[in-house]
Amino acid sequence: MFYSSTTSAALVGVRPHPVRVEAFIGGPREGFTLVGLPDTAVREARDRVRSAIQASGFGFPARRVTVNLAPADLPKGGSAYDLPIALGILSAAGIVPAQASRVVAVGELALDGSVRPVGGGLAAGMVAVERDLPCIAAPETAREAAAVPGADVKVVASLAEAVAVATGRAEARIPEPIVPEADGETLDLADVRGQLQARRALEIAAAGGHHLLLSGPPGAGKTMLARRLPGILPPLDDRDVLEVACVHAAARRTRLTRTPPFRSPHHSASLVALVGGGSGIPVPGEVSLAHRGVLFLDELAEFPPSVLDALRQPIEDGSVTIARKGVSVTFPSACQLVAATNPCPCGFRGDRKKPCRCGAAAVSRYRRRISGPLLDRFDLRVQVWRPDAEEFLARPGEPSEVVRRRVTAARELQRRRGVTNACLTRSALDAIEMDAEASTLLGTALTAGRVTARGFDRIRRVARTIADLGGSEVVTGDHVAEALTYRGEW
Amino acid sequence: MNEARLRLAHAELDPERLRRLLGEVGTEREAVRALRRGRHRLSPRAAEALGRPVGELMEGLAENGARFIDRDRLPGGLLAAGDPLPGLFVRGALPHTGGVAVVGSRRATRYGLQIAEAIGRRLAAAGRVVVSGLARGVDGAAHRGCVEAGGVGVAVLGSGIDVWYPPEHRGLGEQLLEGGGAVVSEYPPGTPPAPWRFPCRNRLIVGLSEAVIVVEAAAKSGALITAREALERGRDVYVVPGDIDRPTSEGCNRLIQDGAHPVCGLEDLDTLLQLALGPPGGASPGPGGLVGRSVEDLLAEADDPRACLVELGRLEAEGKIHIAGGVVREAGGRVGNRPGTR
Repeated sequence: MFYSSTTSAALVGVRPHPVRVEAFIGGPREGFTLVGLPDTAVREARDRVRSAIQASGFGFPARRVTVNLAPADLPKGGSAYDLPIALGILSAAGIVPAQASRVVAVGELALDGSVRPVGGGLAAGMVAVERDLPCIAAPETAREAAAVPGADVKVVASLAEAVAVATGRAEARIPEPIVPEADGETLDLADVRGQLQARRALEIAAAGGHHLLLSGPPGAGKTMLARRLPGILPPLDDRDVLEVACVHAAARRTRLTRTPPFRSPHHSASLVALVGGGSGIPVPGEVSLAHRGVLFLDELAEFPPSVLDALRQPIEDGSVTIARKGVSVTFPSACQLVAATNPCPCGFRGDRKKPCRCGAAAVSRYRRRISGPLLDRFDLRVQVWRPDAEEFLARPGEPSEVVRRRVTAARELQRRRGVTNACLTRSALDAIEMDAEASTLLGTALTAGRVTARGFDRIRRVARTIADLGGSEVVTGDHVAEALTYRGEW
Repeated sequence: MNEARLRLAHAELDPERLRRLLGEVGTEREAVRALRRGRHRLSPRAAEALGRPVGELMEGLAENGARFIDRDRLPGGLLAAGDPLPGLFVRGALPHTGGVAVVGSRRATRYGLQIAEAIGRRLAAAGRVVVSGLARGVDGAAHRGCVEAGGVGVAVLGSGIDVWYPPEHRGLGEQLLEGGGAVVSEYPPGTPPAPWRFPCRNRLIVGLSEAVIVVEAAAKSGALITAREALERGRDVYVVPGDIDRPTSEGCNRLIQDGAHPVCGLEDLDTLLQLALGPPGGASPGPGGLVGRSVEDLLAEADDPRACLVELGRLEAEGKIHIAGGVVREAGGRVGNRPGTR
């Protein structure tokens, strides 16, 4: 037996991709060749693997060793292939039984033969399920892999243990699974005093998945409000937890919780940091890291217009495709956008106490930075005021949990209809059931020239969500009237 | 009305001296007492007025068709923070909503006078209150334009309320009053004009306005003081550009260089003001006194905030109010080309 094929896994975009690690022993002179588009870290596996094999008490074959990572045209990176390479060489050389290569293995090898954790546990777990093979990895990696339902994951600490486990000569250790529970430390809405309209808008945004624009002076609590949105969103289900985890894994981070993600990139962040990309293997941007969660853009007008325009399409389509030489990957980006902005450069236009120091021209220049098409994406727009002393003393507001219950009920109604309200198309909006007063109100607003065609759609979407929050199948005049108050100019 | 404030207003002190005095003694009542003790230099007329009974002072005012408005009852936003002004002497009806000030050189060119008058007319036609100082030159021209167009104007004097300065503007001032406008001054009747009083009244011109238009101003002009004051207090400043080789334009052109908005046409003015101030307020508050209130405050006061929102939405749909920037405004705004109305 001079040949073996071990399975490992790579994350291409957010899709797990099996990588076959082929090993061939034979040829005229002693040597070690590694092919299959390895990057530097992979190429250095040769030295780590040789040392680890010898330190584990196996002999390194005194012949020519060729290792190929297939598919050969997919760029490979990182140190996770050390373990499958070592297992492949050992079984190809007949040093250990061929059984040793019938696993999905990920792990970096230390020179002394111990296995180190690497990212990519999720991909390994998913490939293992797909191929119906056991997955072996270091404890930390194994825990991640075990989050994949149905994965048979085995924990190993060293190359010798890996061989023993893979060939069935040792009892496998089962990893402690990471239970994707909601993290407990989310911020509570009860901390927000006053801000009645903004609180309500936040609840509607959560219930219908609407994008939300908060406008107000510095210190009004825009950020405070936005940070509390994940806490009132329904927790992620198993599928979403994995989906989100995969995106974060592509950015080399572990994230396995039921709380929807919240990302708040600074306005100096680059286009690549926001949308995704980078040289070599593309990494997801903030818009994808916020998938199934909230992307919060503070100081919206400070973001370069080019960046904002680039964000529009991913948010609209729910996915972003990045093409690079050799690979083109698609990251999901179905996130809810919450933006905060000052009403003018100094921030105090319309403030109750502090006067604004900006001229009309400066204000209109500032507002023009946010393009009309982008502004159009915000179904909900509210003004946030700096609370006065009275409001600080006011009773705390409703806690997040109470609000979340209403939101979850409203989302359930939408799930049964099959579409989130924020995504309702014009034809779906036309089909909304409305009572007579609602139609009359909308008609009046339209004919009075108070509302444009696009504004009309936004009002109907928001009214639908308000009705859902009230548990009403029919949209009534009250719902439409309330919806009209959230489209305010800023 | 606070008697001490009425007396204090008769002392003819400039704001700086008054602030210092109040800082020393604490209250307005104490300030009057201190002034009476005579250790402060006062004009003979002021010293005499301080000794007279309040009733007599009031009668003196009534003779001139004037009244004293205590600082607590002045329109909001008129006084800058820390302004010690006890109150204003007023003839006519002081409008409560912000006006637009038109200021400029006393020695204006024919061009300046012509533009000032046209602006006055235009503002009046657009329903704005024209505020100025009734001085020679630009001030007078703006008032004249306003009066001709049948608008409401406010003249802020640097002399007593019964002393017309310059004398030839007496007719204009009276026309202003007949047209439903007002003449105001911080000085008691009989106070003669004095150079140092004019810069002080500029702050009142700014206080009564939501935007200031500078028509013509030399490099060291009182109008520039007004413009600076306006910027400090968050008012928009618009400037009519002038010839670059004419000294009476230098101040204006420098203001533009510093970032003030140039007025490149009279049509511009309507748009600018509409954008900055919203539709002209007029004196009538909108439905149920909602206009000018913030949505947040209305909700906070409501028993049922949700119902209050619904109510506001209904009024908005019916075109009775317009909610912009979280504040209820009078209906009449445009739709379409302003960000956010789309």
